[in-house]
Amino acid sequence: MSIQIRHVSKQFGSFRALNDLSLDIETGELIALLGPSGCGKTTLLRIIAGLDTPDTGKVLVQGEDTSGLAVQKRNVGFVFQHYALFRHMTVFDNVAFGLRVRPRSERSPEKEIRGRVNRLLELVQIDWMSDRYPEQLSGGQRQRVALARALAVEPRILLLDEPFGALDAKVRKDLRRWLRRLHDELNVTSVFVTHDQEEALEVADRVVVVNAGRIEQIGSPDEVYAHPANAFVYGFLGAANRFDGHVSGGVFHGPGLRHPLPGMAHDQTSRAIAFARPHDLEVERPIPGGAGVSAQLVRRYTRGANVVLELSHDGADAPIEVELKRAEADRMQLEPGQTLLVRPSSLRVFPQ
Amino acid sequence: MARGHTFVATRANTEPRWMRIVLTVIALGFLAAFLVVPLAAVLVEALRKGWATYLAALVEPDALAAIKLTLLVAGIAVPFNLVFGTAAAWAIAKFEFRGKQLLITLIDLPFSVSPVVAGLVYVLVFGQQGWLGPWLRDHDIKILFAVPGLVLATVFVTFPFVARELISLMQAQGNDEEEAALTLGASGLRTFWHVTLPNIKWALLTGVILCNARAMGEFGAVSVVSGHIRGQTNTMPLHVEILYNEYQFAAAFAVASLLALLALVTLVLKAVVEWLEERGVAAAERAKKVADSSESAARTPVPADARAGQALAVA
Repeated sequence: MSIQIRHVSKQFGSFRALNDLSLDIETGELIALLGPSGCGKTTLLRIIAGLDTPDTGKVLVQGEDTSGLAVQKRNVGFVFQHYALFRHMTVFDNVAFGLRVRPRSERSPEKEIRGRVNRLLELVQIDWMSDRYPEQLSGGQRQRVALARALAVEPRILLLDEPFGALDAKVRKDLRRWLRRLHDELNVTSVFVTHDQEEALEVADRVVVVNAGRIEQIGSPDEVYAHPANAFVYGFLGAANRFDGHVSGGVFHGPGLRHPLPGMAHDQTSRAIAFARPHDLEVERPIPGGAGVSAQLVRRYTRGANVVLELSHDGADAPIEVELKRAEADRMQLEPGQTLLVRPSSLRVFPQ
Repeated sequence: MARGHTFVATRANTEPRWMRIVLTVIALGFLAAFLVVPLAAVLVEALRKGWATYLAALVEPDALAAIKLTLLVAGIAVPFNLVFGTAAAWAIAKFEFRGKQLLITLIDLPFSVSPVVAGLVYVLVFGQQGWLGPWLRDHDIKILFAVPGLVLATVFVTFPFVARELISLMQAQGNDEEEAALTLGASGLRTFWHVTLPNIKWALLTGVILCNARAMGEFGAVSVVSGHIRGQTNTMPLHVEILYNEYQFAAAFAVASLLALLALVTLVLKAVVEWLEERGVAAAERAKKVADSSESAARTPVPADARAGQALAVA
């Protein structure tokens, strides 16, 4: 089912959670709503589900306005951040709940319900613990039960609120991959909320970057990562070093930096913020007349196959982070205390 | 290594042996002097003139009437406060609204107001000289010095028991399970019945037990509105007072022993409820530990392709 969100605003007291937000979601898509906490992404999800009502604007599902529709009638599957399993029911009864509470005329016979629940439990690979209570399950298992329960009612839309937020890193990675496969099999329109950019980029078809109740950018994971629309998106999607400066004559001038900007009008002059990813920075020993930011190496540590350097420099509070191949760091004999020149091999400049 | 640390910490945090003994003796001594001895005294006094007198005091018509009246008043007041307490706790824990803080304060009011004042309030409202007195007289409705007055006074003083027991629990449990039930298509009533109620049943039971004990034992507020008509508006505590004032000590202690017995039964029931609850939690925690340690084994994903057929069957 496609979802159209039209000019939705929502205010909590003096806090503006959503600010005239519009978004189209296609049938069968897996969409990630990505943003910092408090950006309104969960509110949007709850509005789609009908758990919250927008102050203004509306949500259409398959072209139909859902404004007056009660939660129960919307037929959405909602997976809560903390699972929200019924703690006094077994795994089996949790999954069967949605089927058993249907009005008598629509309810399947108990035998059919049992069969269906068992198939779902197999699908989420927890059929062997259907007699257990939620408290007896680990976080990852609970999340699977929550998902099976949401899928049991054959939802038109599946909504997931920070589905893996409360799990440890290893389980999270497994479940992420598993959710993607599950979505490909079931093909139900799905929206999940996350503040973890890695999760959004790995799982989603399209990523919607939300900030302060507005959409900053919509695009495929590749698009938003490689072509961030603005400084916020760049800064949010992965580690970033920030340099404040200005552009004039088609060149960015920062602290010790001169970076030509092809495609920038020469007559434009303004303040600007420039970003570089840690792996887009190079370091070298200072040479007379050498270009780059002069900075002092404070710390070096390991990140997978690479080495990360933390450098401090005048004119910025945050340290500069440089990531380079271990062999190269060893060859240059980099040790804390050395003064180095940092130069970006590529730089994204956002005039302000 | 860990064992060694534990040992050191235990030594460092524990008082010397003599200190522990002294503290324990003081605590038990106070308990005996102020709780056990008086309770025993009630029973001893009640049976001083033998079982025959004891039983006679209980089956005497006025005593029987007092027992029946007490049961009737509690039988009305407790269910009322069960419903009210649950509704108030539900509203406070699950919704945001103006005046919520005021409602919480009001629920606690009966704890801070003297029961005598509570009784006088009803006299002021329903009494002959009260606001509604003339109107009630004209319509031949009796509230004061009758069952309705006793029930009102009892409801007032037992207001907070159920609500207070539930509010903190429901606030801690949050709204998630109810919202989940709604998204799964359950109606509000079904959600309450199948999701909320099972989660609060132990606290609800504790609240009802305490509420009932107070309802049966209440003296002050009931005394003001009762009128002390023998065989008609005397509850058990009032009956005890009358007997005592008439120097019928054996009979007074006999009825009082029933109230003391009620207190003991209440305590035992409360302990049993809490024990059942604890046991459930403890069992769940033990099982959780097992689940956590076996998670690495459990989560090994089966290839999704192998499940595709089932997935389609489910969808």
